[in-house]
Amino acid sequence: MSIFLQLLFSSLETGSVYALATLGIIIIFRTSRMTNFAQGSLGMMNAFVATFALINLNVNVFVAAFIGMISAFITGVVVDLVIMRHAKRVSPVSKQIITFGLIMLFLGIAPMLFGTSPLSFPRFISEGSISISGASVTYNGIFNISVGLFIMIALFVFLKKTKWGLAVRVTASNEETAQLMGVPTKLVTMGAWAVAAALGTLAALMLAPAITVNVSMMDNVQINALIACVLGGFQTFYGPVLGAYIIGLSKNLLIYYVSSTWGNALLYILILVFIVFRPNGLIGKNYIKKV
Amino acid sequence: MEHIKKIFNTKPYNYYIFFGILLSLAPTAQQLGLLNSSTIIVLGTVIFYSVVGVGLNVLLGYSGLISLGTAGFMGLGSYMAAYLTVDMNLPYFLSVIISVSIPLAVGLVIGLISLRIQGYYLAIATLGVSEILKQVFIEMDTLTGGFSGKSAFYPKIFGLLELNRQFTFIGMSIVLVLILIFSHNFINARTGRAFLTMRGSESAAKAMGINLLKYKLTAFGIATAYAALGGVLYIHFIRFAYPSGWSVTLSLQILAVIVIGGMRKMNGPVIGAFIVFGVPELILKQIPIISGIDGLAYIFTGVLIIVVILFYPDGVIDLLNPIKDYIEKYKENKNEEKSLLDNQ
Repeated sequence: MSIFLQLLFSSLETGSVYALATLGIIIIFRTSRMTNFAQGSLGMMNAFVATFALINLNVNVFVAAFIGMISAFITGVVVDLVIMRHAKRVSPVSKQIITFGLIMLFLGIAPMLFGTSPLSFPRFISEGSISISGASVTYNGIFNISVGLFIMIALFVFLKKTKWGLAVRVTASNEETAQLMGVPTKLVTMGAWAVAAALGTLAALMLAPAITVNVSMMDNVQINALIACVLGGFQTFYGPVLGAYIIGLSKNLLIYYVSSTWGNALLYILILVFIVFRPNGLIGKNYIKKV
Repeated sequence: MEHIKKIFNTKPYNYYIFFGILLSLAPTAQQLGLLNSSTIIVLGTVIFYSVVGVGLNVLLGYSGLISLGTAGFMGLGSYMAAYLTVDMNLPYFLSVIISVSIPLAVGLVIGLISLRIQGYYLAIATLGVSEILKQVFIEMDTLTGGFSGKSAFYPKIFGLLELNRQFTFIGMSIVLVLILIFSHNFINARTGRAFLTMRGSESAAKAMGINLLKYKLTAFGIATAYAALGGVLYIHFIRFAYPSGWSVTLSLQILAVIVIGGMRKMNGPVIGAFIVFGVPELILKQIPIISGIDGLAYIFTGVLIIVVILFYPDGVIDLLNPIKDYIEKYKENKNEEKSLLDNQ
């Protein structure tokens, strides 16, 4: 039982990382109809900014993370203003390709600005752990889990209860109608990019103590986040987040109980098979495309 | 001049064959001292990525589907070829056939699963597949040599004649020309027309009696087979492969090849492969100040992808349009002057 609990807590922690990245992807998908493959790279580059601030400005970890998220916010706005706004008329496939271009761009810019050697970013809470019926959980782990959950809940409340949340949902459902109703869809899309980039950076910084800040740190998260979107279905905001936690948990369970080398591969195969039977994901609604 | 134009226009194959002959002169040029030895390796790289690109162009350009598993299938092909020729001592041509058909079979199964769902799922599904394949490359070390990598030899034809680098290069040029002619044929026939209809509107294609799954699967199969063939060419030319080389980044670079070279053009992938894999090595590294910047090649490719998608959807060749326009205007002006003079 204590092993299972241990696994559960570590899954919740990785699940939070995946969920933050996934939320970024789904917000962008819903508001501008494109699967953002550059979510991980955006997070990676701004994690470098945060680490750079930590080392050179001698600030607190939290302040460094805040600086990283602010710079991510600005990066998101710039990406939208300079590139995405001009891509309104291109096809969905080409939009996807633009995000591939962004990946290459960030892959090149990060080592150019911050060097090629991996940097280390400390935990938010450096030490201490408690034991919950035999399973030991670090304070940092609890902090990450609760920050993840808090941000999810805050965003869902924002989407459901506020006027701006309504604007986002209207844009997501039909952009042209939203424009006719006086919703500033351009601002909504820009906000979506900015928030998504900040969420990606937070995910990267939560992950950083375990694997150092390096160019390929977010590759794995990016893949799992996209697969979480497929698993949860692209039609709702909460489906993918649920998918992210499920992936976090089932990955750890498969790796521990089935095979440590093939656990990951097995998970992807299972999800592929699942998609054959439920093409719209866990909570997907089947909507009929008009010609 | 008119005569030469006539030859190319009546038989489009001549264009490819002429290009192939030009390409296979490169090793001779190296022996004469006109080209560096490293330039030959870069050009060889351009050739096998062109082959992979032509395949992906069928999938992305003509049928509008994105695959991110290209590098994985390429790796599978190259490891198969290395294992079959080095460890099993099979004849070269038999090994080529096997190492193309096994990735093809794997690809078809994956295509069958992921193509039943919406188009953008294919990119994500193939991304997952390429992760699985990478794990396979690391773990199955009897086949792939694990982290330490796998080496192979230059091709040995009919068990007698072992080619050297020059002849391998010429052989690769011949393969590229054959691939271009073959693809040209089926793109300008029933299959190609079905792809284009499908890309335009799936509903319209369905209404015209085109079996969507069949043609999507065909396109995906062609892309996979060409990727595996590219992998085979790779391993017999570079003669070394290791697992981290077959990353998603490589798949993205191959995608960039098509986008930059121009989608739905037969010569697009060749131009694109030269720009993505040739230009950074041959030109950018020679420029003094910026050559030291890390990641320059990635920035160059990334910016080109975005610029081409936004402004030049038919490929980077359109960047030359202003020059073309200028020449045409110049010609027109000259003709007008001439006619004015004649009238007088």
